[in-house]
Amino acid sequence: MRMSIKPASVERRLCAGVFLAFLLGLLGLAPLPGGVAMAADKVQTELAGKPNNPGAELWRDVRQRDTQIKGVTQVEGMDAGVLININGERWRRFRMEQLIPAVGVALGGVLGLILLFHLVKRGVPIAAGLSGKYLHRFKEIDRLLHWTVALVFIFLALTGLILLTGRVILIPLLGPELFATLASASKEGHNLFGPLFLVGVIGLFIRFVSKNFLRKGDIGWLFKGGGFFAGKHPSAGFFNMGEKIWFWLVILVGLVVSATGLILEFPFFGQDRSLMELALVLHGVGAALLIAGSFGHIYVGTAGMPGSLSSMTTGYVDLNWARQHHNLWAEECESRDEVLSKSEFERSRGETPLGDRPEPLTRGDG
Amino acid sequence: MSERLEKGLQAMRTQVDARVVSFMSTCVHCGICAEACLFFTETDDPRYTPIYKTEPMRKLWSREYTFWGKLATTLGLRRPMSEADLADWERLVYDGCSMCGRCSMVCPLGVDIAYVIRKVKEGLSAAGYSPEDLVAASERARTIGSPMGVTAKTLEATIRAQEKESGYPVPLDVQGADYLCLLSSGEIAGFPEFIGSLAKIFHHADVSWTLSSEYFEATNTGVQLGNSKLAAELVERVVTVVEKLGVKTIISPECGHAYTTIRWDAPNFIGRPLPFKVVQIMELLDQLREEGRLKTSTTTQQRLTYHDPCNISRRGGVLQQPRHLLGMVAPNFVEMADHGDMNWCCGGGGGVSSNERANPLRLQVFGAKKRQLDEVGVETMVTACSNCRHMLEDGLEDNDMEIELIGVTELIAENLTETKPLPPSPA
Amino acid sequence: MTAFVDGPLWNFALLVFLLGIVWRLFSIVKAGSKPDYSVARRSAGSGAVMTLFRRFLPRRDMAPKIRIHTVAGYMFHLGLFALLLFAAPHVLFLEQHLLGVGWTPMPYWAFIVASQLAFAGLLLLWLRRLLNPVTRLISDADDHIAAILVFVVMLTGCLALMEEFTGLRVLHRFTVELLMIYFPFSRLMHAFTFIPSRAFTGAWFGRRGVDA
Repeated sequence: MRMSIKPASVERRLCAGVFLAFLLGLLGLAPLPGGVAMAADKVQTELAGKPNNPGAELWRDVRQRDTQIKGVTQVEGMDAGVLININGERWRRFRMEQLIPAVGVALGGVLGLILLFHLVKRGVPIAAGLSGKYLHRFKEIDRLLHWTVALVFIFLALTGLILLTGRVILIPLLGPELFATLASASKEGHNLFGPLFLVGVIGLFIRFVSKNFLRKGDIGWLFKGGGFFAGKHPSAGFFNMGEKIWFWLVILVGLVVSATGLILEFPFFGQDRSLMELALVLHGVGAALLIAGSFGHIYVGTAGMPGSLSSMTTGYVDLNWARQHHNLWAEECESRDEVLSKSEFERSRGETPLGDRPEPLTRGDG
Repeated sequence: MSERLEKGLQAMRTQVDARVVSFMSTCVHCGICAEACLFFTETDDPRYTPIYKTEPMRKLWSREYTFWGKLATTLGLRRPMSEADLADWERLVYDGCSMCGRCSMVCPLGVDIAYVIRKVKEGLSAAGYSPEDLVAASERARTIGSPMGVTAKTLEATIRAQEKESGYPVPLDVQGADYLCLLSSGEIAGFPEFIGSLAKIFHHADVSWTLSSEYFEATNTGVQLGNSKLAAELVERVVTVVEKLGVKTIISPECGHAYTTIRWDAPNFIGRPLPFKVVQIMELLDQLREEGRLKTSTTTQQRLTYHDPCNISRRGGVLQQPRHLLGMVAPNFVEMADHGDMNWCCGGGGGVSSNERANPLRLQVFGAKKRQLDEVGVETMVTACSNCRHMLEDGLEDNDMEIELIGVTELIAENLTETKPLPPSPA
Repeated sequence: MTAFVDGPLWNFALLVFLLGIVWRLFSIVKAGSKPDYSVARRSAGSGAVMTLFRRFLPRRDMAPKIRIHTVAGYMFHLGLFALLLFAAPHVLFLEQHLLGVGWTPMPYWAFIVASQLAFAGLLLLWLRRLLNPVTRLISDADDHIAAILVFVVMLTGCLALMEEFTGLRVLHRFTVELLMIYFPFSRLMHAFTFIPSRAFTGAWFGRRGVDA
């Protein structure tokens, strides 16, 4: 049977294009630091060309356009000597006009791309079908850690998004009083669970770092499009490049998000407003990256690549799934004779018949 | 509701006491008990989790003794108990549990799981869901007086053979002796040297003792089966014989469940204190050692360890005595890592080894004992239970392990100082 | 709504809670104990007391196997007791509504740490219950409802930390009252019944001369 080459390469190009568009979408977040300065300039140019105001000089001084005026007060604390915060408006406009829309675009964009991919490809099934043999992939402690961090992350993401987008989306929907309650709840919850996320990320690092170093073939895997696209599935070890990227994203961006979160939550160590603003931007951008990434992670782990979810629930995966997506690891397991038969797997779940005499009346309702 | 089910449930209802209610209310399903049970650790099958084996009792308690349970059952929101609730647990309870009690030692909430499993057996056996081998053994115990069918004739023949082999007289049916020694059928059939060893030791220690031909059985199949009525009946036979012979103290021989039964459970089966004292053979030997009546002159140089029979040590309380005795004759005695009250069960107690259906399973769970032995590396293993000994022999053979087995009494007798000369035998 | 939660529902919940606990403990006594006619080797009473305290820590030979139970379990329980009894809003509540007397609460930061430990512990334990084949088999609805309900109570409390919004405080109090009504009819009773359980077992082993 002659394999038609042309459609595969067209599809490949199309999917590669989509992939690049995804990366660009993420890059859309890049102009943000510049945006801070841009907003300030915007205000500046708006004022240029207006008629002379007799109180202009006074107000110019108040607005601190030409000089930095730092007052003296008896109140002790960072920025206590600032009577009027000249950055307030700039910050507000940056947040409302740059940050929030950018996050929205990024998240919506990624969600849309995933939807598109799923509509077109309907996920990546196990080509050889289920084998009925199993490999042990994740120990209980790893799965426990993963799901704890996952749930904490989802909670933080939800509360964080409520706090970020409340003004724009939720106040119009819920009204200011209800939103105030929701926002207060979200802030308290977000602040309480934040440090737990940091501990979880450190735990994930300790457990998984040894499996996430770059190895030969990883870059190649990436350029071949991983297992997502038609054509030969590139080789991969225990973790493929996609998973390694996600791991390092979670660790590095996760640490940035945690560190900035701590800076924001504990403003007792000499943080001034500009540091807090920077922390907030990094926190939001980092969180948006992680949330976008988590969309992809959740998709691939569920509908995107059937057979993957069991690795994190039961800890076992089908042998054919492993051979397809992590062939090098599967080979290693097979050479070490670590393949479980269906009945061995079921026994560890308490699902095999007890003994070889006549079956019990039922399997018991446990 | 079928008759079988009703019988079973009624039997379990009589077993519900303050302890059971407390335990059923308190278990939080943490699963720690599984980590202590060799039937789970060696099979990885979560159904052998000890507290899971008590499900029939929990279901009964939940439906008939709790507020929501009673309400839900009345309103038809919860299905009533079915025969499957008992039938499906037969293998778990009888094949997969020796009532060794390790689980009861580790539960953070203090649930005595083995205690409840014993009570579940009452329900299963009343409903007729017990292994046929065990039922047959109980019948033999009831009719013949021995679960293995050992008769008084067999005993007498064994006694004569032992007298010849050891060179010491074995008193039988002696009125007014200080001690009556019971025997397990397993001992008579498999390790009769116990009798000869006793004869030698008691001669030199000047102990007045006897065996009984009328009723000699130490084990109580009623306990293994889970039938209190049978258990009580068998205890009464012991009481009768003791009263007839006018003996003050019973010696419980080298058998685990026999000891817990006669020492701790027997009076409660018959509803009154026993009219005699009970002493485990090692307790008596240790007492003789303390009194200076037990002297040894030789030792065994072999590197050896002691396997604590669950119902003598953990559930019986005889822990230090074997160690004192071995201290006399075994300079190279080493303890296994989990020893004493946390020793791993041999896997054959509580009726498991009498149940042929459970053979593959009990050999599989011998893996726990194998691990202990591989770790400690010994030439000889000493134990004080004939049932353990049979099980250990099977397990060692199954795993091609070259370890010698010997009983405590036998080991002491081998190294005994012969202080008292034998009376000249009649020509 | 606020008046209902602060008033009649609170009274009802308190009644059910207290009467329910007494009833459950009484049902243990009611089931009765047959006398033990065997001759004890050692004191059953001292065995009961010793086991009551001994079981707070795992046995040395078991400890490595049950580390997650021990660590997460104590994180949760100690954190929960700390914030139940020593969180400033709780101390005030207990003083005003129940006991008439208060005590020094713990500082705010300690309260936060305690609640984080409690949350982490409970989350770890409940997730393990789902992921481990043994607990997955032996757990029932009661186990899950209890875990989730306690988590929701703790969460609503945390959400109301600012102490500025009546809605959040009432939500917390409402979930607390639900928990109080649920408590006596559930496995949460282990908080009280662990005492007779450990004591019974301790006595049983004690009279045999075994340190359980």
